[in-house]
Amino acid sequence: MSTPRLSAYRSTARLALIDILHEWRVSFCLILALAAVLAPLLVLFGLKSGIVTTMRDRLLSDPRTLEVVVVGSYRLDPAWFASLANNPAVGFAIPRTRSLAATIDLQAAEGRSLAGAELVPTASGDPLLTGQAPPNGRDQVILSHSAAQKLAVSPGSQITALVARTLNGGRQVQRLPLTVGAVLPEASFGRDGAFVSLDMLAAVEDFRDGHDTPQPLQSRTFASLRLFAASLDAVQGLADQLRAQSIEVRTKADEIAMVKSVDKTLGSLFAIIASLAIGGYLLSLAASLWANVDRKRKDLALMRLVGFPPGAVMAFPVVQAALIAILGTSLSAALAGGVAWIVNTMLANTLSREEFACLLLPGDIAVALAVTVVLALLASSLGGYRAARIDPAESLREI
Amino acid sequence: MAGALLDIRDLTGNRGAGSQGFTLQIEALTLHQGEAVGIIGPSGCGKSTLLDLVGLVLRPQQAGCFRLGSHDIAALWQQDKQSALAAVRAQHIGYVLQTGGLLPFLSVRDNIRLSCDLLGLPRNSQHEQQLIKVLGLGRLLDNKPAALSIGERQRVAIARALAHKPRLILADEPTASLDPAHSVRVMELLLHIARALSVGILVVSHDWDLLSRFEVRPVQAQMAESGLTCFSDLAYRQGGQNE
Repeated sequence: MSTPRLSAYRSTARLALIDILHEWRVSFCLILALAAVLAPLLVLFGLKSGIVTTMRDRLLSDPRTLEVVVVGSYRLDPAWFASLANNPAVGFAIPRTRSLAATIDLQAAEGRSLAGAELVPTASGDPLLTGQAPPNGRDQVILSHSAAQKLAVSPGSQITALVARTLNGGRQVQRLPLTVGAVLPEASFGRDGAFVSLDMLAAVEDFRDGHDTPQPLQSRTFASLRLFAASLDAVQGLADQLRAQSIEVRTKADEIAMVKSVDKTLGSLFAIIASLAIGGYLLSLAASLWANVDRKRKDLALMRLVGFPPGAVMAFPVVQAALIAILGTSLSAALAGGVAWIVNTMLANTLSREEFACLLLPGDIAVALAVTVVLALLASSLGGYRAARIDPAESLREI
Repeated sequence: MAGALLDIRDLTGNRGAGSQGFTLQIEALTLHQGEAVGIIGPSGCGKSTLLDLVGLVLRPQQAGCFRLGSHDIAALWQQDKQSALAAVRAQHIGYVLQTGGLLPFLSVRDNIRLSCDLLGLPRNSQHEQQLIKVLGLGRLLDNKPAALSIGERQRVAIARALAHKPRLILADEPTASLDPAHSVRVMELLLHIARALSVGILVVSHDWDLLSRFEVRPVQAQMAESGLTCFSDLAYRQGGQNE
């Protein structure tokens, strides 16, 4: 005898669906109860990812976050720089001279001048250039925002750099004509700075030191360097490596650590609240499905009597639980999406265009749906087991 | 007696335990295609327990022979094949209950199709349309059972029990909750359709006055002692063999 399995299960699924529609008030309550738990959770999760993502993005969009500032003077030879270049933790490194030698006076054509601008070596790949082409040779300069403002110049302007030295008791001044290649945004460099090629910086140092013929770059030692880590996570390790070589460094480790700890704290807070809320909801869903089996005992017994196999009758509450989970999660996602929109609109003033205070990604909602359905199926299996054990003879009894 | 639809000998079933316990014996019961048998006896004599046994929902204590069509029901119970028993119920038996017997969340139409859907049979068959016509249910098809009178519900239940062309109808006091006029009408329809479709029908009733108006072979309960009832149509069988 062939058992009519497939049609029995298809038929059960249909009956479960019709029953949910028939008892739409009860179903609606179960769906609302799910949304009441899940929607706040989704908003909470959205806030967590929105805030953490925004903090992280802000840190990352500030190139100085990755900077490892070397303090003091050292004797760093070409071999040391070569080994540094092979370090995967390094994003950008360029030698720099003693800080005393690295200031310069600038004069604009209109007569404005700026004394003691910082002379900063740069090259392609420098995070502070934010994509600008580096200055070429010894006749180009990139100015920081404040330096350009004080000189009242813009890209393309001609300026003059004055390098002074005291040699054999006499004061000598060298005038270097420079073209302003670009002006950096204020966020990149807050002080007066002139970004030049390493070649130019070395030449200035040589002139100050009294060497009129510059030393070749390949063989000279440098007192210091400008250093950027490859990523946020690499900063701490790189700083530790340098400290192990007795090189004193400073980083924005505190701020990075704060974002990481906010992420972690909010994550565990979310996990605790979610497990409490979901646990409570699952118990109530399991209880209502269990009670449902009681309420529908006569109907389920009739289904058993007319020949629905035990497995099919067990599927009845399971199908209903899955439907409630899907509809409840959809409602929650819609509600949470609305709340997220309101939150983001309210905080629009403090956020830039690409930033969100509350960020709900489709992937997160898909995970929430999958977890809810799986848990609802687990919760309903108890009621299903009970339904499958109903004695079909019950429907024959006069109750 | 070859080709009997239902063939039972020495079947015993128990209900309850202790002083509430109740034992039912069916010495012999045979039902042929298109035949109507009425199980008659006062309330509490075990008629419903008999239906449970014949309806494959009560495990027999002991069975000399229990066959339904080509199925050896005694063997299926012995091997505890619940799914196979459910499949036999689904395919070969139609149940008409005293009340209810309909799913409240389904329309009349879907209730009638319950067994057909379960078996994966085509919907809206000619057979289904004919049942709806004969039972006068055409105008009620989209209603839910709650919107029907009890008489209408019993007619829907009859259609549901017959829609999938079972070979055996088990009817448990099908008219007990109806007024006398409706009782006659519903019983008449039930027996008439069963005969027309040559379906075997077993009607349990306490109302022999009603059943005796139709061509129904009676099988009487014999209450041997407290807690033991015996049914037998052995006399009929022997009579039949002598003919």
